[in-house]
Amino acid sequence: MKKTTAALILICSISLSGYTPSDNDECLNCHDALGDEPSQLYKNDIHYLKGISCSACHGGDNKTDDIDVAMSKNAGFIGVPKGNGISERCSTCHSNPEFMKKYNSPLQVNQMNLLTNSVHGRLSINGKERIVQCTTCHNAHGIVSVKNSSSPVHPLNVPRTCAKCHSNPLLMRTYNPSLPVDQLDKYRTSIHGLRNSRGDSKTAECVNCHGSHDILPVKDVNSSVYAINLPKTCAKCHSNADYMKEYKIPIQQFEKFSNSVHGIALLQNNDLNAPSCNNCHGNHGAVPPGVESISKVCGSCHVLNADLFSSSPHKKAFDKHNYPECETCHSNHQIITATNQLLGVTKEAVCSKCHKENENVKGYLVAKKMRLLIDSLDQSEKSALNLINEAEQKGMEISEAKFKLRDAHQAKLQARTMVHSFNKEKFKEIVDGKGLATTNEVIAEAKNAIDEFYFRRVGLGVSVLIISFLAVMIFLYIKRIERK
Amino acid sequence: MKNFLKRIYLWIDERVKLNDLENFLGKKYVPIHSHSVWYYFGGVSLFLFVIQVITGILLLFYYKASSDLAFESIQYIMSKVEFGWLIRSIHGWAANLFILSVFIHMFSVLFERAYRKPREITWVTGIIMFFMALGFGFSGYLLPWNELAFFATKVGSDIVGAVPLIGEPLKIFMRGGDDVTGATLSRLFGFHVALFPGIFTVLLVIHLLLVQRQGMSEPLELEIEQKTEQKRMPFFPNFMMRDLLLWLIVLNLLAILAVFFPAELGIKADPFASAPAGIKPEWYFLFMFQTLKYFPGHMWFIEGEVLGILLFGVAGILWLLIPFWDVKSSKGKRNRIITYSGIFAVIYIIVLTILGWAS
Repeated sequence: MKKTTAALILICSISLSGYTPSDNDECLNCHDALGDEPSQLYKNDIHYLKGISCSACHGGDNKTDDIDVAMSKNAGFIGVPKGNGISERCSTCHSNPEFMKKYNSPLQVNQMNLLTNSVHGRLSINGKERIVQCTTCHNAHGIVSVKNSSSPVHPLNVPRTCAKCHSNPLLMRTYNPSLPVDQLDKYRTSIHGLRNSRGDSKTAECVNCHGSHDILPVKDVNSSVYAINLPKTCAKCHSNADYMKEYKIPIQQFEKFSNSVHGIALLQNNDLNAPSCNNCHGNHGAVPPGVESISKVCGSCHVLNADLFSSSPHKKAFDKHNYPECETCHSNHQIITATNQLLGVTKEAVCSKCHKENENVKGYLVAKKMRLLIDSLDQSEKSALNLINEAEQKGMEISEAKFKLRDAHQAKLQARTMVHSFNKEKFKEIVDGKGLATTNEVIAEAKNAIDEFYFRRVGLGVSVLIISFLAVMIFLYIKRIERK
Repeated sequence: MKNFLKRIYLWIDERVKLNDLENFLGKKYVPIHSHSVWYYFGGVSLFLFVIQVITGILLLFYYKASSDLAFESIQYIMSKVEFGWLIRSIHGWAANLFILSVFIHMFSVLFERAYRKPREITWVTGIIMFFMALGFGFSGYLLPWNELAFFATKVGSDIVGAVPLIGEPLKIFMRGGDDVTGATLSRLFGFHVALFPGIFTVLLVIHLLLVQRQGMSEPLELEIEQKTEQKRMPFFPNFMMRDLLLWLIVLNLLAILAVFFPAELGIKADPFASAPAGIKPEWYFLFMFQTLKYFPGHMWFIEGEVLGILLFGVAGILWLLIPFWDVKSSKGKRNRIITYSGIFAVIYIIVLTILGWAS
């Protein structure tokens, strides 16, 4: 109650007096004479320049030079605000739309609310106050506009400001030991970080991705860096043609990614196993993968494919021609589901880009054979499935064969991975030895089940005939004995 | 050939006096009247029970009563064992036809007042066997350990648990613990193949001996109306042959049902999965299940479900004891209350079963 009253008095006094920087501010006069650091800093503070006195935060009477009166409790003097009291002093004005309107401030008035609900608004280890107060990032005296390059929250200074805590292992261990403390170092190696350190304030720094007052843990679904939200966060800049104009890089990545197999899995199916932008490009150390590293990036998930490719004859050829490894066949942002059509020598097959009937013939023949093999497995799997469905529809118990068909499907997936070895023999071994062998077994079992179905019908017919014959004989016998 | 058969007959007759049995059967007669057709349902029930015993024993050769293996063993029976599918399908269909036949037999006995003195014990043993037939159905339903059976058993045993005082301990006894688990499967398997058949056989022997000893009851209505002497038919071979003829027809029906509608297996029970929508018990429990649904949550001072179970319990006891409270019929007088109650029960069971099926 006392705090509310004091705040009201403060607001009224501020609004009535219409502050301007003035020599009549006795707080500053005395402290300036003492030469203390806060007063020196405050002289350049945006609040001071807007006419807001020390007493706005510290209380007291700034009109009198009598120290006993000016810094008395009766005059509302509170000294140095502590703990949550710091942010509450700031929010007294910054959460008041009416007050902020007077200064034509473009600032939002919900920062305090956002901070309270953010990860930084959680209780600190002493259990008494929030982890972060306004002054943690903005400093206490000498606050300047965010556009001012000396501000700790100016885009060029933000990484350093955040790193004050986030690069401090002792402090971070207290709150989140699993969080790395080398983000700043990584950031400085990234394109964003390099440009930022060269003075480009347009490139992304911490707040562009994580937010400022409203930072949430990365695992929070509302966080701007939550896997599903991240592509949109990156797209804020990277899909903005005007913003990206000077960087001369494409702006369709988000659109392409959204239509890709990865994008559909992540954005439409909410599959968190699917990669988001950072999984390929890194996050704090964001760099576009180069020709050399692209297979390593894809290979971090598609391990077998990458391994097989690395030991295949294509590796050498791709290196020689400086082809990006996975991207050459699968594209980058707009990777679509790989189908059998990618393989072979038809128009839509990627192999035919390099291997023609009269050019690179060996590869041409291998591609053609591999396509034939995978198509035959595909066809055989479909036939087996159709026969199983038919047997099931006839009420036959065929679950074992149905289960076995999974092995054939598994073999098909394995074969599709083995494509990356570009070794016809290894590929054939899987398709023939595992896939077709299994589908043939399943087809035989399903056919047996269907034959069994018809056998049952015939068997039923025979047994019904025999039983009916017996029944007729008994009926005649009954008639005979009852006639007597 | 004839001489050979005669020699065998004489050889056996010399040792076990078949002649005496023949004379005994030759003296047995079955009344002939417009309601004689109902006499055959006792025989049909007996035939189906024998089929159940035979097919049950054959299934036992391969069935494994454990939650890990039960489903797989049935799968094996259905797909790998020669004619396993047929045996299981016949077992399943015969179970349903058995209960249907027992229902018909029971109601025909009721409407004919065949339970009246001196056949009270025959009725009581018959009704107990009827309850046991339902028990056979309930315990056998879980044995394939599939999803539907698992949750139906859960629901069914929950209903048992709602019985005041004895419900909870009975439920735990039935389940072999707090929940339906592998222990429940072992327990119900024990009931299904050992305990119930043992008790049922003893009751069946008493029931059949009494029928043989006391002969077929004549309907009370006919006894009151007809003054002239009743027509009769020798039990052996005339009635026996008619029974046999009907049994062959039932066997044909069973074969057709088993081939055209083989027993299904569904998917294996997963105790951690959520119950599939629309869980229902077997058709012969549907009328009770549906009735319980109509009871409100609370009625007077008691839970609706508990009240419903208590009412069924009371109805069951009254049903069992009909010969003892229906004194009029025993004295050879008409008792229309029994007729109306019987008609009401039949209509109620049919309507509620249809409603339960459609819901």
